[in-house]
Amino acid sequence: MKSRVYLLILLLIIPAQASLLSPLSFFGIKPDLSLALIYIIGLLTGPTEGALAGMGLGLVQDVSSASLIGLDGFTRGLFGLCAGVLGGRVLNIASPSNIIFLTVFCLAEGIVISLYIQIFYGNVPFISMLFNLMIPQALYTGLLGTLMLRVLKDKSVTAMLLRRSLQKE
Amino acid sequence: MPGFIAKNKKTFSLVFLFTLLFWLVTVQVKAGRLTFMEKPVLAVSGFFERFITGTYNAVESVGQSYAFLVRTHRENERLKTEVEQLKLENSITNELLLENERLRDLLAFKKLQPLNSVTAQVIGRESSPSSRTVTINKGAEDGVSKGMAVITAAGVVGKVQTALPGTAKILLLTDPGSTLAVRVQRNREEGLLEGKLVRCALKYVSYYADIQEGDLLVTSGLDGIYPKGLPVARVVKVTKHEASAFQTVVAEPAVSFSRLEEALVLRK
Repeated sequence: MKSRVYLLILLLIIPAQASLLSPLSFFGIKPDLSLALIYIIGLLTGPTEGALAGMGLGLVQDVSSASLIGLDGFTRGLFGLCAGVLGGRVLNIASPSNIIFLTVFCLAEGIVISLYIQIFYGNVPFISMLFNLMIPQALYTGLLGTLMLRVLKDKSVTAMLLRRSLQKE
Repeated sequence: MPGFIAKNKKTFSLVFLFTLLFWLVTVQVKAGRLTFMEKPVLAVSGFFERFITGTYNAVESVGQSYAFLVRTHRENERLKTEVEQLKLENSITNELLLENERLRDLLAFKKLQPLNSVTAQVIGRESSPSSRTVTINKGAEDGVSKGMAVITAAGVVGKVQTALPGTAKILLLTDPGSTLAVRVQRNREEGLLEGKLVRCALKYVSYYADIQEGDLLVTSGLDGIYPKGLPVARVVKVTKHEASAFQTVVAEPAVSFSRLEEALVLRK
């Protein structure tokens, strides 16, 4: 059952990101829905599942875009792992501080990707990218992820998931 | 030792997977991008993209109709209803006029360019942090195939990366994997334009070449993909380093990709 849910998320998230989020575009900047989702999965389920979800989503994103296969899988896997570690040790799921963590994670991923492109292709307009793309998108994603967590909290989904994981333990 | 591995099975599995992904990336840096799973994944995501876009438009339309009905009921006056209807019609007409204008521009451009082309609509924008692609609603069934040039009246958009029966994935100019042979329109200096996610950079431009901010870059036709003379990008920054034989030239694409709705695919 769980694996079917994950498969459905994998199949739907990329087309949803590609077509459904266009109306949410603000000066050409769209929130990164899959990153917000990986953060939430990591937060609620732990480092291993967070890392696997990140790798899976990243790989699907790699294949459906023009990126090198494994690049997003690698960075998003690390991202899911970090979210899982933070979720288990530091973070309160309902805390507004999630916006800061998610923004910082998103920004860190953008910097890693631009460094990679700088190393292998060169001439990256880093400052322009930082102010025109990375920071606005990271803030937008942070806001979206926090809103998604707020909705989850209101619907008591978080409590249900936590109960289930505690029962398993 | 086997006991230690069994105890930390999850950790070792994760380390193995991360190493595998890292190895996969480094292999592709040398050998080029792997495309083995591309078509099945794009077929599935293309189907869902069309399904989601269609559902979204239908829901939006139902939502608008419902809002319209609620307003009419509240105001309960025939004349008011008529005014609302006229307003709605007016907004639809304005939208149609704008669309008409865009399509006319494309058509006029199509007439100017005696090329075999197909008009396509953008139905999806991928947002992988390391690449820039869009999906269009025309594919192999309409004669679109890999490597074909995609343009608008404003200039070059990119080229077809993958063509499926009903959709195609377009590699935008700003994608790091995109390269394009260009020429400075003013003095015919040549260079190779590469995507840098938000902008493009002109490579292999000699230190002594006369390139200025504001210069328009046009296709040189040397790559055999794009017809000669199409607008590509405008130079926004030129930096010369004493230690280098080349200068760094940053250019802004002529087409605004965030506002891209229709484009022409040039069939060979």
